[in-house]
Amino acid sequence: MKRSLFGRLWPNATAVVLFIGFVFPVYWMFNTALKPTGDILSEDPVWFPTDITFEHFRTATDVDHFWTYVTNSLTVTVLAVVFSLMIALAGSFALARMRFKGRRGFIIGFMLAQMAPWEVMIIAMYMIVRDASMLNSLVPLTLFYMMMILPFTILTLRGFVAAVPKELEESAMVDGCTRAQAFRRIILPLLAPGLMATSLFGFITAWNEFALVLVLNKDAEAQTLPLWLSSFQSQFGNDWGATMAASSLFAIPILILFVYLQRKAVSGLTAGAVKG
Amino acid sequence: MKRKLIAAIGVAGMLFSVAACGGDSGDGDKKAGADGYAGETLTVWVMDGSSPDQWQKDLTAEFEKKTKAKVKFEVQQWNGIQQKLTTSLSEENPPDVFEIGNTQTPAYAKTGGLADLADLKAEIGGEWTESLNESSVFEGKQYAAPWYFANRVVLYNKKVWADAGLKDTPKTRDEFYAALKTIGDKTDAEPIYLPGQNWYHFVGLVIGEGGELVKKDGDTYVSNLDDPKVAAAAETYKKFQALSKAPKDKDEATPQQGEVFADGKVGAFIGMGWEAGIAIEANPKIEKDIGYFTVPGATADKPEGVFLGGSNLAVAAGSKKQELAKEFLKIALSDKFEGQLAKLNGVIPNKESLQTNLKGNAPAEAAAPAAAVGGTTPLIPEWAAVENDPNPIKTYLTAVLNGKTPAEAAKQVEGEFNKRLSQQQ
Amino acid sequence: MTVQTERPPSGPADVRKADDGGPGGKTPRAASRAGALAPYLLLLPACVASVLLLGWPLLKDVLLSFQNLNMTQLIQRATEWNGIDNYQAALTSEDFWRVTLRSILFTAVNVVLIMVLGALVGLLLARLGKWMRFTLLLGLVLAWAMPIVAATTVYQWLFAQRFGVVNWVLDKLGWHSMADYSWTSSQLSTFFVITVLIVWMSIPFVAINLYAATTTIPKELYEAASLDGAGAWRSFTAVTLPFLRPFLYATTFLEIIWVFKAFVQVYLINEGGPDRLTEILPVYAFVEGVGNQHYGMGAAIAVLTIAILLGLTAYYLRIVLKQEEDEL
Repeated sequence: MKRSLFGRLWPNATAVVLFIGFVFPVYWMFNTALKPTGDILSEDPVWFPTDITFEHFRTATDVDHFWTYVTNSLTVTVLAVVFSLMIALAGSFALARMRFKGRRGFIIGFMLAQMAPWEVMIIAMYMIVRDASMLNSLVPLTLFYMMMILPFTILTLRGFVAAVPKELEESAMVDGCTRAQAFRRIILPLLAPGLMATSLFGFITAWNEFALVLVLNKDAEAQTLPLWLSSFQSQFGNDWGATMAASSLFAIPILILFVYLQRKAVSGLTAGAVKG
Repeated sequence: MKRKLIAAIGVAGMLFSVAACGGDSGDGDKKAGADGYAGETLTVWVMDGSSPDQWQKDLTAEFEKKTKAKVKFEVQQWNGIQQKLTTSLSEENPPDVFEIGNTQTPAYAKTGGLADLADLKAEIGGEWTESLNESSVFEGKQYAAPWYFANRVVLYNKKVWADAGLKDTPKTRDEFYAALKTIGDKTDAEPIYLPGQNWYHFVGLVIGEGGELVKKDGDTYVSNLDDPKVAAAAETYKKFQALSKAPKDKDEATPQQGEVFADGKVGAFIGMGWEAGIAIEANPKIEKDIGYFTVPGATADKPEGVFLGGSNLAVAAGSKKQELAKEFLKIALSDKFEGQLAKLNGVIPNKESLQTNLKGNAPAEAAAPAAAVGGTTPLIPEWAAVENDPNPIKTYLTAVLNGKTPAEAAKQVEGEFNKRLSQQQ
Repeated sequence: MTVQTERPPSGPADVRKADDGGPGGKTPRAASRAGALAPYLLLLPACVASVLLLGWPLLKDVLLSFQNLNMTQLIQRATEWNGIDNYQAALTSEDFWRVTLRSILFTAVNVVLIMVLGALVGLLLARLGKWMRFTLLLGLVLAWAMPIVAATTVYQWLFAQRFGVVNWVLDKLGWHSMADYSWTSSQLSTFFVITVLIVWMSIPFVAINLYAATTTIPKELYEAASLDGAGAWRSFTAVTLPFLRPFLYATTFLEIIWVFKAFVQVYLINEGGPDRLTEILPVYAFVEGVGNQHYGMGAAIAVLTIAILLGLTAYYLRIVLKQEEDEL
């Protein structure tokens, strides 16, 4: 069936418009961060930064404790993701491959856990941490972040594990592997894309969190980047250049990670999502 | 051991240790001598903009010399401060000393989170101005120490006013309005930057009208926004706000009005004297153009009413360094540093005798005439809840500016306002 | 890597495994006693974490919701039970019901927009040529990857009253009253900004997943359909849609949860303003509880919020319950 010129044109035209729509806010963030204040506060927008300056990045990073925030954010996020992947891997294997009493209950349980509106429970979490004398520490933060991403990680990984053909595992066992060995040698490598995809979600959630850390850690030594970013507007007023520079710095690690892993993420998340 | 130390440290140490006996703290034996505080660090919360770097630096040096302890200043934002303060006061390591707004002090005094400062008052508070100490006293007890007070003035751009052909600063509200109109007609500048939610200025206008924001209904306080005097204040606010391009739903801190003013395209704004510093930091060239005058009242003989804002210094009841905290207060509130603060920031000090420090300080001289007719929001524990965002008075102002009549707007926010005033404590 | 030899495979086990590998493949595995425990052991860490880190705060929250907990009690660490006062106050207040209704509408509008537009973009991806598809995917991934706090800040700047690029464009398009328009000054315009932000952030997830799902539809199904004389629309409804159904259910479920909980976006854009008119349930709970320092009340609203979210997703959870019975 041959398509008309129009029929071939409109998908591409729509795609271009959509591309612009999705990229523009990201572009505008970098654009604003890179141009001098005079160009930012001009009556007619300057669409392309001709006069590139790193002034705003300097303002944004020239804040006390900036590197502490970076280190804290990285530590908390990476640890939360790694822990939740380890715990979830074990759990999801059981849920995907084994048949046992109460299996359905577990699945529903994790689905419910996924719905937890963390922001509204903050004061309860605060009081628990306070009464345990654990305020201004990265430990409770890491644990709670791990829990925030754990249900999604389990449910998604379950889909990946289920997608690995059972026959592979079984033939490995026929070849003399124990179940654990079969898991490590056969399933784990095949799960790698799935693990990456899932870790992306975890990474972005933990990287973003700010309501909890705001209440738990008042000490700058234990604060993270989202606080730095959200405090910007009160600190720098309408200095959009610095604010956008800060946003850019905050977004760059995730952007790089996503673009780098996007193929794997795409194929991965589908497998997980279809399974729900 | 104790005896030897006391013998060794001389008169200053004697005075100090006598004072220290008044308290009961976890400092234990350490209160014996000046060396006893070595290795300790006192955490002090000050609000953004309230104390100049120079003052902090000099005070730190003096404090560290006297007590051998360290002091750590942590600057806080007004936005969300109550939530932060409440949780902090419940923690094991609250800030030892903190600045607290005068309108918020009664509520915190009631919670038991503030240490009793009766002995401090007896020792150094004899000359504190009575009216300024009012907010620190709750049910007869001294829960904080008055620190500084300030009221708003008009900060104006002399260059813009000269461009518009204006020579004198206005003496009445009508002259003020006419002058701003002239700026609007003759120059490109925005005559006045007045965001819709500068509610401290609005409180001042209410005080100027002789009105009250709340009234007593039996045992509880309820909204009095439907009072015609409050309505008159809102109308005045609206008339001036109409000359500004500032957002009707933002307060003076978002964006900082000083930064807007720094561009040199604004004729005037109503703010604290020290807000000039924000403008100068953003644009040093603006310094020579900044002038100040008292907010003009309805008639030339009486300036506009102003909100007498101020801050007290309090000690957390849960602080483990009670004695050290009081030492800090004694130094910070001494004539030397109280005077320096008044001088640097142009704020009213806690003693009349220190007011000489304000001589020659333009913003302070502009503020002084109005201070006499200034007032505060009701000094009741119930008030703090009103100031939590979203503050119903801010909502009221925005509603009026967006075209509701004051009566309609008063009705709109009444429920929320009364709910907060009657909130269980 | 060392090879473990302590438990050589036994003959009978092998036979059994071979049986399992047969076409049925779903017959229950006869498991030894240790094998029966294995799944529980594997799930143990996850369950312990859930109970300690989610169950405990949840329980604490429920307990707080029966307390009179304000500044004084929090500072003095005092516990004052007040029965069901908080629930009574919440459920009898007009505000609570208004916010609930608003939350549901807000969630519905956003989820419908996200699902419809996301699905359309996903189907478009399937029709594009290789290069165009890569380009659009890149755009989607960039939007998807923007951290929420950063994205919210960027949207505030895009929609800023002064020098915001959106107002400039509208002005140039001839809509001059929009030149200095304050987007945060009215309920609808604030919701508009929030909705654009949320839809923009959420479409990529739906679109990319849907596209990926369509690539797994066996070609034979379409061929069979066209042999039966089905047109484009018919083969879409007869093949594509049924194939994607579980995926659509799952994604809708996730989006409902995510939009309903969109605390950060709503709170950072305008703190639930103007005049508390854009508060959705999580924001309302936060403002009443933490903001207003009325913590017991906040906890009660939180519990009610969770109940409402459960109600909204009950349908899907039931489907899953049924589905899981047949699986494996």
